[in-house]
Formats: sequence, C-alpha cells, structure tokens
Amino acid sequence: MTRIGTALRSGATELRRTPLLLALLVVAPAYVIYVFTLAAPEGPASVHVDGAVVQTTLPEAFPAFTTPMTAALLAGITGLFLMQTAASADARLGVAGYRAHQVVLARLGLLVGVAAVATAVSVGVMLTAFTPEHLAWFVLGTGLTALVYGMIGVLAGVALDRLPGVYLVLFGSMIDLFIFQNPLATDPPDAATFLPGHYPLQVVVEAGFTDSVALEPLGWTLAYLAVVTGLATLAFVRKLRVS
Amino acid sequence: MSRLVTGTRLRLSELVRQPLTLSLLLVLPPVVIEMYGVAVESFPQLPTLSADPATVGRMTGALFAVAFLAGLVGLFQVISARNGDERAAIAGFPRWVMLLTRLVTMFVVALVGAGVAFAVFNYRVAVAAPGLAFGVLVLAALVYGLLGVIVGTLLPRELEGSIVLVFLADMDNALSSGLFPIEASASLPVVGDVGVTDFVPLFHPHELFTAAVLDGDLAVEHLVPTVFWVLALLVVAFVAYDRVTGEQGTGFLTGVAS
Repeated sequence: MTRIGTALRSGATELRRTPLLLALLVVAPAYVIYVFTLAAPEGPASVHVDGAVVQTTLPEAFPAFTTPMTAALLAGITGLFLMQTAASADARLGVAGYRAHQVVLARLGLLVGVAAVATAVSVGVMLTAFTPEHLAWFVLGTGLTALVYGMIGVLAGVALDRLPGVYLVLFGSMIDLFIFQNPLATDPPDAATFLPGHYPLQVVVEAGFTDSVALEPLGWTLAYLAVVTGLATLAFVRKLRVS
Repeated sequence: MSRLVTGTRLRLSELVRQPLTLSLLLVLPPVVIEMYGVAVESFPQLPTLSADPATVGRMTGALFAVAFLAGLVGLFQVISARNGDERAAIAGFPRWVMLLTRLVTMFVVALVGAGVAFAVFNYRVAVAAPGLAFGVLVLAALVYGLLGVIVGTLLPRELEGSIVLVFLADMDNALSSGLFPIEASASLPVVGDVGVTDFVPLFHPHELFTAAVLDGDLAVEHLVPTVFWVLALLVVAFVAYDRVTGEQGTGFLTGVAS
C-alpha cells in the first residue's frame, strides 16, 4: 500500500510540476463548454431519453451533452500518453522492487485523479448554463464516461503509436459521444448501443433531463468499465514485463 | 537541395517503416468518413443542412479526417525535430532545411491522406467538381498541418501539444460543420456582422468543399480567406520555429550561425 501511495504521489508531483499541463486540464474543458454554450442556437430541442422525448431548449441541451464528451476526451488523451511516457520510468520501478500490480494501481490511480479533475471542471463550467435535474447522478455519469475513455486511451497507448492513438481517441470520442449518443439524434443505428459512451451517456441524459435515473444503464456502465479496466490492466502489465 | 531531399526522404522512411501506423493512417480516414455519414443520418433534417444528412456527414468527416491527420503529423514532426534536429544541426544541416523537410513530409502525408479519403468520398458521393474538391481537401490539410507545426513548436511536449490540437480540432469540427444552426445563437459574439464561428480554421475550407461537392463551383469568397490562412500560418510557423531555435542560438532568421 505504501509503495502504491509513493508511486501515486510521485506521479501527482510530476503533474503538479507541469503547470502548463495543469492549466490545460482546467482551461481546455472550460473553453469548449463555454464556447458551445455561447454558440448554442435559440430554440426548442427534443431530447431522446430511453425511448421517451423530453422537450427542452438548445441552450440547455448543448452544454449537457458536451460536458461528458469534454471530460472523456481529456481522460482519453491522458490515458494514452500515460502509457506512452511512463513505460521507461515504470520499468525502473520494477527494477527497484515494485510489483507489477503496484505500478499499475499507481498509474490507474493517477488516471482516476485526472478524470476527476476533468469531470469537476467540466461540470462546474456547465453549471453556469445548465442545471441538471440530479446533479450527483450527472457528475457520476460524466465521471464514468471519462473513466471509460481513460481506460480506452490506456489500451490505445499500449497497442498503437502516438499518432494513430491520438487520432483514434479524438475521432472515437467525437463520433461516439457527440454524434452517435447525441440525445438530439432521432434514430441512431443499432451499433451505437455497443459503443463505450452509450450507457454512461444514458445516465448523464437521464440525470440531466428526467425525474428519475434508472439503475440499469449504471450497471452496464460499471460492467463496461470493469471490462476495459481489466483489459487495460492486462495490457499495462504485459508492457511492463516486456520493457 | 540535396539536403532537403535527403532529409525529407529520411522522414518519410521513418513513417513507411512503421507498417501498422502507416496502414492505420490510410484506413482511419475512410472509416471516419463512413462513420460520420451513418451517424449524421440519425439526426433530424436541420434547416441549415445544405444536402441530405448522410452527404453532409461524409463531407464533414472527409474534411476533418484529412485535416486532423495532417495536424498530427505536423505536431509530432516538429516535436521530434526538437530533439533529433540538434544532431542534424551539428552534422551541418541548416535549420531552415530541417524545418522545410518537416513541412514537405507533412505535405506529402497530407496529399496521400487526402487522396485516399477523396477516393472513398468520391465513391460514396456524386462529386460535382472532383478536382476542385480534392484541392480543397489538400488546402484544409495544409491549414491544420501548419497549425500542428505551430502548436508543436510552442508546446514541445506531446501530451500538452496533443491536448491543444485535439480541443482546437474538436471545436472547429463542431462549429464549422453546419450540423447545428449556430447562426441562430443569441449569445454568440459577432465581429462586424459575422459570428466568431466564421473565424475557426476550417470554416472557409468547409464552405469551399461544400460548394465544390454539391454545386461544382469555386467559392472565391472563401478561397481567398483559406489561402490567407495558409500563408499566415506558414509565416507564423517559420517565425515561431526560428524564435524557439533562435533562443538556443541557432535561429535562421535571427542571423545566428547554426
């Protein structure tokens, strides 16, 4: 436990000593959500929630669906580069006596921290324009979206070079969260159900626009997260052993 | 001249020798184009859409896929240059040649990426002016490639540079796509009588591409600003690269010997 804490602290210190990165973690989501809020057209919007339609306005719908996308994008890229940059340092920790699971837990802990910051900033900015019906559920859904994409970023970081990795994370999250899972879409294709953003976005949209939040999408989200976390952990451990 | 050719060949060889990366870079843009087409079909017909949703989706996807690919190549070319070029400078390569090799490499990748993406796009959509549409894709790629070079010059760490480029591209894609009737926004700041969204880098290429694909027209009112974007970014890229390398006593505009 102490070793995990030490590795986690050293990772956090590295982040803290990179003020530009810290600034970007705050400014980037704030900028995107703020601009989307400004650019939202006046007019009504039909938000599709699990087969039902909720009437709202476009200025409320825009910040609601860009918030999880922004947090996910930030966590996804961080997850990707966590793998790309940490490999050599983590291999040294292994030489210094760290077990693979200790290194992995420390790195994933760092990713959870980044996802939490991205979620907090994104939701904080969103609250200036839109107040969800159930704030706590909305935060949970956004955080889970960020975590799922963070783990996908880790997987991409193991499997791909940085260039296709960033390409995949950007387009994957854009197409999934901004287009396929967009609550303004009337008839998304069936395949959209299998994408990573489907269930967490259902939690977000229900929390944002309805009186109650169903537990089923939350359960599926946690199951999805467990699977991608398991895969990311395996890939991470394998990479540690190889390096 | 031979140094320019040698340097460019070296950069391109680096890419070609990574078959997985290369094949992904060739496969991903067509996949993105198709996904955009399918995805946008699920939106209701918006009054601002200039064609059927699938075509609008493919147009947006094609432009964005090609532009962002070039942006990433520009970004990572310059970031890796910050380390590798030191040795090349010691070996006698002038700074401006090294920057040019990166730019030419980015241009070649942009050209290939645009060619592959256009082939797929042209297969799925009846393009009114194919040559013009391809040219616009290349211009869009140049805009983002140069943006990538500038971001990579100013933010030489991969994570920070990628975050900036990704968030810039993310906003640009959404605001320039025409998928949402942003013109109807009450709170959108205006400059003169146009919204600030008209100043995102892909706005004019998007309009040019739409006119070329749907009407076969050359929208001159959008061509001039697009070319201006390219030239302005080229100047900024050279100045930024010179300032950064100049701080190390090796700039080519600052007159310090490399």
